[in-house]
Amino acid sequence: MRGLIALLGSAKVLGAHHDLLLYEYDGAVDTATPDAVVLPESTADVAALARFCHEHAVPIVPRGAGTGLSGGAIPVEGGVVVSFARMARIVEIDVPNLRAVVQPGVINLHLSTAVAPEGLYFVPDPSSQKACTLGGNVAENSGGPHTLAYGVTTNHVTGIEVVLSDGTVVRLGGKAVEDEGYDLVGAFVGSEGTLGLVTEITVKLTPLPEDKRTLMAAFPTMDEASETVSAIIAAGIVPSAMEMMDQLAIQAVEAAVHAGYPLDAGGILLLEVDGPRDGLDDARERIERICRDHLASEVRVATSALERDRLWAGRKGAFAAMGRLSPDYYVQDGVIPRTRLPDILRLVKDAGVRHRLRVANVFHAGDGNLHPLILFDSRLGPDELERAKAAGLEILTACVEAGGSITGEHGVGMEKNCYMPLQFQPTDLAAMRRVKDAFDPDGLMNPGKIFPTPSRCREFAFASTVR
Amino acid sequence: MTRVIPADAAECARVLVEAARDRRTVRISGSGTKAYIGDVTQTDIEVGTSRLGGVLDHEPADLTVTVGAGMRVVDLAAILARAGQFLPLDPPHGNEATIGGMIAANSNGFWRARYGAVRDLLIGTRIALADGTIARAGGRVVKNVAGYDLDKLLVGSFGTLGVIVEATFKVIPLPAASDGLVAGFTRSADAFATADAVVRGASRVEACVVERSEGTAWRLAVQTRGSAATVRRSIEDARRELAARQGEPRDLGDDLGSMRELPARATEGALVRVSLPLAATPAFAETAARLESLAALVADAASGIVRVHLLGDDDDLIRDAEALLLAARVVGGTGRIERRAEHLASRLSTWPTRPNGDFLMRRIKEAFDPAGILEPGRAAFV
Repeated sequence: MRGLIALLGSAKVLGAHHDLLLYEYDGAVDTATPDAVVLPESTADVAALARFCHEHAVPIVPRGAGTGLSGGAIPVEGGVVVSFARMARIVEIDVPNLRAVVQPGVINLHLSTAVAPEGLYFVPDPSSQKACTLGGNVAENSGGPHTLAYGVTTNHVTGIEVVLSDGTVVRLGGKAVEDEGYDLVGAFVGSEGTLGLVTEITVKLTPLPEDKRTLMAAFPTMDEASETVSAIIAAGIVPSAMEMMDQLAIQAVEAAVHAGYPLDAGGILLLEVDGPRDGLDDARERIERICRDHLASEVRVATSALERDRLWAGRKGAFAAMGRLSPDYYVQDGVIPRTRLPDILRLVKDAGVRHRLRVANVFHAGDGNLHPLILFDSRLGPDELERAKAAGLEILTACVEAGGSITGEHGVGMEKNCYMPLQFQPTDLAAMRRVKDAFDPDGLMNPGKIFPTPSRCREFAFASTVR
Repeated sequence: MTRVIPADAAECARVLVEAARDRRTVRISGSGTKAYIGDVTQTDIEVGTSRLGGVLDHEPADLTVTVGAGMRVVDLAAILARAGQFLPLDPPHGNEATIGGMIAANSNGFWRARYGAVRDLLIGTRIALADGTIARAGGRVVKNVAGYDLDKLLVGSFGTLGVIVEATFKVIPLPAASDGLVAGFTRSADAFATADAVVRGASRVEACVVERSEGTAWRLAVQTRGSAATVRRSIEDARRELAARQGEPRDLGDDLGSMRELPARATEGALVRVSLPLAATPAFAETAARLESLAALVADAASGIVRVHLLGDDDDLIRDAEALLLAARVVGGTGRIERRAEHLASRLSTWPTRPNGDFLMRRIKEAFDPAGILEPGRAAFV
């Protein structure tokens, strides 16, 4: 502590117990208290901190806004949490090159708001975009509803400045679409803070679509909604977003946000097409027809920006709305091939029944990226969270068996690192480990994340052999 | 040199581990179309990928396809077209290039600004490694953030980390309509101003390329695909921008194909390829146009990738090539000597300067290929 204060000054270091408690959690369910919290104000601060930690073999855990859903910002092995709250400046908006240079603490939505007057935006729009930071987006390779057509964070980052765990500062990529040599920017994005600390990011800015059409379609059951998703793709239409919600989710959202979703629907789809104005109505009509062919009881088209925002407010506020149904929830993030939606959704339901927990579904149907929200009540005892995790594991196992992934956009973190062997063979993990060692040979960057750890994963390894 | 053509991933991995044990160097070859890249020397073994072909998995409704790395890009296109889909990548050497070679060389065409580059469409790979293991990276689903994105490292790795044996891509439905136009300009400023307006316009064209070849004329080619209504709109918008700058449009023939294949034609002299911040493209092209040894220039006005073919006296074209790489660096871009006549190889190396982060690249290379047997000399950055 004293060393850190001597190095950076007391204004940049937090060590009091009541301060540290504010940094022991993120958007997921696990907690751990840091030994200290540092609030750097420059790349030089970060580099000095990294050198200090390297010298004293102290783990470093980077933190954006703490909205992460896999425990990525939790100091599970202790050490220093680095909050980027004070490195939150938009450094440059470069309209001619369609780029912005930002510090990692800039909030996702603030960037899009700042460049909107130029007719531009930053595409990835996670549901937490009002709070989450671009540094966090880079760490987690965040997605959002509109990634179906436009890609996730990695597709929109062309350059980064990184402080390595020994304090070395390196700039990778830049404003051009590619650099010579290995694509280290590509390898870094999505590395969950385990390879280094991002101190500056160069992102692509995209011209705002000229227009959009937003539709909400209500179906008797989730089966019809799922089949509609496949039918739209089969018709050669790739909407910019295709979001699905089940009945339980609709009830929570309506209670909290009043988005105007029909309460009696078994499932709804929120669909959006965007692009040049010409052709949008044609696409909308075709989508509407496909929905009706699949027994949609109602198809509502937003006729104003206000109506569109209201439809989207329900989706973006869905996780928060779960508070209406349950004091706690555990959200999963499995991905499946889109065509397997109906059977996996049934399996999700069964897992909930088996563990006596309610499960709401709010997810990116177009990507096959599920978000089952497993509702539990921690006041009833530790068994509740354990059952929620058990149900989550069953769901993820099914996703992997269907040819999918244990995480589509929330990251592995400390929540799913023990599950990595479900999806990857030891040789696959060994290849990843080589990259980790090249960037962070001493293993100080965000330890206990992504890779299975013998101490914490023993129990799981045992459970999986029994199974 | 021994030529080996493994029948599957396991055999490929076996070849590599034995080579590593015996310290025998390995070259990896698909169709061999891009063998000119890098400062290669003779290797002990050449591993061909021609038997690692075929579509391994294609569920049209999932919009993904998994193929063997030895498959030719054109053959995959034909198969996907039967399902009404396409892989929106249009690399040079389009008739011969293999999937594996396209990934290893990060070989892209003009569609990248609209649909993304190899790095954006590749979602999974299987690789045979020098320690004899086979590793899988990514997966078969369109969204996946489990673990590190090793696929990104393979794109543009030129075989220095392992042999790509299998790849999974995102694919998209084939558009219903297509159209394009090409127009001549006497001033490069007009060609680029038109291109810029088209690229930033609402109608999202598929390709927007400025070319200068023989004589002093500049040509702009624009291609658009989509629904009938969006294609009509794109062409109207492009015509309006052309009219504002006295460009005389005619229908697009195979102009883009010919522009894309500049690397295939550039067997003599030197071919410089740079990647620039988008807005730096027009001034760079102007600079190139003034060079004595300029033979042809093709600028992807939507992505900032510019190729310049230089012909003439050796000393002149070496000086010009170096000037172009410097000009790219000055504006925040990067570049390489993508191709040069064999007798120039000793004087013009592909990567004359080291990229940022090369120490990390070397550490990664060492971790994957500690014996240094894979593609020696191919990639100077490691």
